[in-house]
Amino acid sequence: MSTQIRTQISNSILLAIVINIVYAKAIGVTQGAIARQVGADMWIVTILSILFALLMMWVVVIIIKRTPEKNILEQSKVLFGAWGEKIFSALFFLFFLGAYGGVMITIVYHLMDYFLPDVPTAIFIIATTGVGLYGLSKGIEVIGRFAVLGLFSISILNILILFGSLDNFHVHHFFPVMQNNLWSNLQATSHHNSDWAMAILMVAILLPMVKQKEKWNKYTQKSVLIGGGLILMWPLLQVGTLSPEVTGQYIISCMQMARSAEIGLFVHRYELIMIVFFSISALVQVMSCLICASISAKHVVGAKNINKLYIPTALLLGGFGYWIVDDHMRAMHYLEDYWPILSMSIIIGITVLVLLFGTIFKRKLVQRKGK
Amino acid sequence: MQLEEKLEQDFFSCLQQNVTEIESILGSPSDLVKRDFTIVEQVNLDASLLYIDGLADSDVIENTILRPLLTNEMNESITALSSEQIKQVLTKKGLQVPSISIVANFNDGIDAILAGNALLFVDQYKQAFSLSVQGWETRGIEEPQSDTVLRGPRDGFVESIRTNTALVRRRIRDPRFRIQSMQIGKRSKTDIAITYIEGLVREDLVDEVLQRLNNIEIDAVLESNYIEELIDDSPTSPFLTVQGTERPDKIAAGMYEGKVAIFVDNTPFVLIVPTHFWTFFQTSDDYYTHYTTASYFRFIRYIAFIISLTLPSFFVMLVSFHQEMIPTQLALTIAAGREIVPLPVLIEALLMETAFELMREAGIRMPKPIGQAVSIVGSLVVGQAAVDAGIVSPIMVIVVATTGIASFAIPDYLASVSIRLIRFPILIASGFLGLLGFATTFVLLVIHAISLRSFGEPYMAPYFPFNSRDRQDTMIRKPFWAIETRPADVKGNEQRAGKNQKPSPNKRRKTRYKR
Repeated sequence: MSTQIRTQISNSILLAIVINIVYAKAIGVTQGAIARQVGADMWIVTILSILFALLMMWVVVIIIKRTPEKNILEQSKVLFGAWGEKIFSALFFLFFLGAYGGVMITIVYHLMDYFLPDVPTAIFIIATTGVGLYGLSKGIEVIGRFAVLGLFSISILNILILFGSLDNFHVHHFFPVMQNNLWSNLQATSHHNSDWAMAILMVAILLPMVKQKEKWNKYTQKSVLIGGGLILMWPLLQVGTLSPEVTGQYIISCMQMARSAEIGLFVHRYELIMIVFFSISALVQVMSCLICASISAKHVVGAKNINKLYIPTALLLGGFGYWIVDDHMRAMHYLEDYWPILSMSIIIGITVLVLLFGTIFKRKLVQRKGK
Repeated sequence: MQLEEKLEQDFFSCLQQNVTEIESILGSPSDLVKRDFTIVEQVNLDASLLYIDGLADSDVIENTILRPLLTNEMNESITALSSEQIKQVLTKKGLQVPSISIVANFNDGIDAILAGNALLFVDQYKQAFSLSVQGWETRGIEEPQSDTVLRGPRDGFVESIRTNTALVRRRIRDPRFRIQSMQIGKRSKTDIAITYIEGLVREDLVDEVLQRLNNIEIDAVLESNYIEELIDDSPTSPFLTVQGTERPDKIAAGMYEGKVAIFVDNTPFVLIVPTHFWTFFQTSDDYYTHYTTASYFRFIRYIAFIISLTLPSFFVMLVSFHQEMIPTQLALTIAAGREIVPLPVLIEALLMETAFELMREAGIRMPKPIGQAVSIVGSLVVGQAAVDAGIVSPIMVIVVATTGIASFAIPDYLASVSIRLIRFPILIASGFLGLLGFATTFVLLVIHAISLRSFGEPYMAPYFPFNSRDRQDTMIRKPFWAIETRPADVKGNEQRAGKNQKPSPNKRRKTRYKR
């Protein structure tokens, strides 16, 4: 793998993908879950999660920089042998399978609950996974370019919601600040941390494809800060406009805010336009999950040609997504109770193990560098 | 003997045998002219001149070939000369044709005759002389039909490749202007030329163009679209990745930006590669009017593009699935208009779109005065009658008409047609699945467009991938004094203009008027 010519993407493209993979779920579904747990402190929780992401992203860049031509799965092969690679890859696949459930919850409930209540769930899953598969077939370079469009859409979306919400913004909704203790707030970060985990593990896989390794750290940190800033605007507006109590009442809290947004007397009910912009970012999430899951599957089965794994991977992820999304209660239990624990265990477990073993067996890594 | 075998033969030393064989190969056509004469009286050396009437200029043949040969005496020692030496004698004896070349076999001889040259056979010589006397009726240079401008040059390409290359050369007096010619088409043997400016063009781009052209195997090339379809990066895509134009100024401008032009004989449409998506929204007079005006016009064209692509789909999606998104008063107006319409809104839209396409096609194909009448009758009478009959709603007529007008605002006709084509899948998906259908088909389309390349360059550049420097002449046109560099893909990234070109009044000069 390492001797093959890899597709190369720029640091800016990686930045765009990172922001897109986090954004769609983080602004609505995640904020609703956080609001239910910590109320008005949801914006503080979001900031704490951004700090967690900065730290983890830094750790991942350190790990990959030790063998810049190898992704974390290939590095794990050097450190733990072929079976170690397979186990790590299986965990990665499991992670992106689980993440896909969250992504599907985000997309399907946005569209189904607010726009198309009569359309069967399977149609949503087939349509979005089909588009993701098409993007996947075009490769990471095209997904990256599409993510640039997604970044543009996110900016427009943020501007639209900002203008549409400021009239009803009330500062008193924020008080008392830190109504929960720091430990409760830290516990609540697991919801948003699981969003950032998607971006961090994706970076751990894609980073060797990124040009100019001396800029990796700068751009990954930048991506967390910009992405975090774009996301942070939402809990601030949700607390200030909807109030944390109302935010917590909805699965898709951002959609409720979009529905109440209006600009002046004539421009109201423009959530349809916002959802079109949102869908671009959400579909980048779908494509990113599919590509990372496919790469993980390739390492699990030891396949030479990744293209053959695209359809089986999409079927597995789509099937799981359907099973999760088909039942609202199941979806909510999964998202709030199981997924944060699973995702945190995988991301912290894997990165800490690879970091520690990489430090202990540094000589082994240096010897195998470039091989 | 098969025709191929006859063509592979070398000429015979017997004049009559050569002439008979040529007539046999060509099937003794009525337009093949044969002039027999004697060129050295002392030995009565027979000669014969063959050419195709209509392809060769008979006046030129008379004045520059026959008259000098028949009036200037030649020494009988000519019979002892070689073909090359005879060629020099013929030149000295006053043949005033632009070029004489020696051909040795029937294949080359036939090619020369069919290309409009005259073939001179001299008895006892196993070689013939191809004399350049091409001359056929051509259309004069006129204003292009498809790329019209309000301000700017009015000359357009014609059907002659040589005239076309000359029209571009007039605009590029650079010694690094390069032209490479070839013939494509086993039977048509169409002349093709590629032109570029050395030092600006990427060498690998020229190699790529030449390689793709050389790989073409086809019997005939009648128009540049034959070449376009055979060198396209994505032949199955509805998007055009090669641009064709009738305007020499557009080709010259492209060459100054490091592009390669492909000229095809017998067509006024010249191709330019690589092509980016945004170039289809640019016109020549964007550069001949003030930059603010040009940028405004471009903005209007992009609006037209969005309307043309999405308006009917958006309308169908809103009316069929998301009525709550329409402002109440407008929703009531639409509902009142649709009250007596028996068809679902998707069928209504498809019906109107089909009717519009019929009128457009009929208007183009019919003679101009009748075509205009069809358009007017179609749009006014049939539209009004359809509304009165309750088949379609008035607002649907407005939507389809606005979409149609918007598509005509896209300067490149073929690009506008491709946009009209791709809006149908979006329309149908929106009609069946509402927002989900609209979003998924739109995203599929965007991913497809982003994945395209034109001769190695991303089709959607400089936005996807993003290149801030090249944006100076895409969505908007910056003033010439602000565009100092050529596009990033130009070899060497040479400066296009000097620094600090922004004009300003000379502050040092004293004014005549005192305050």
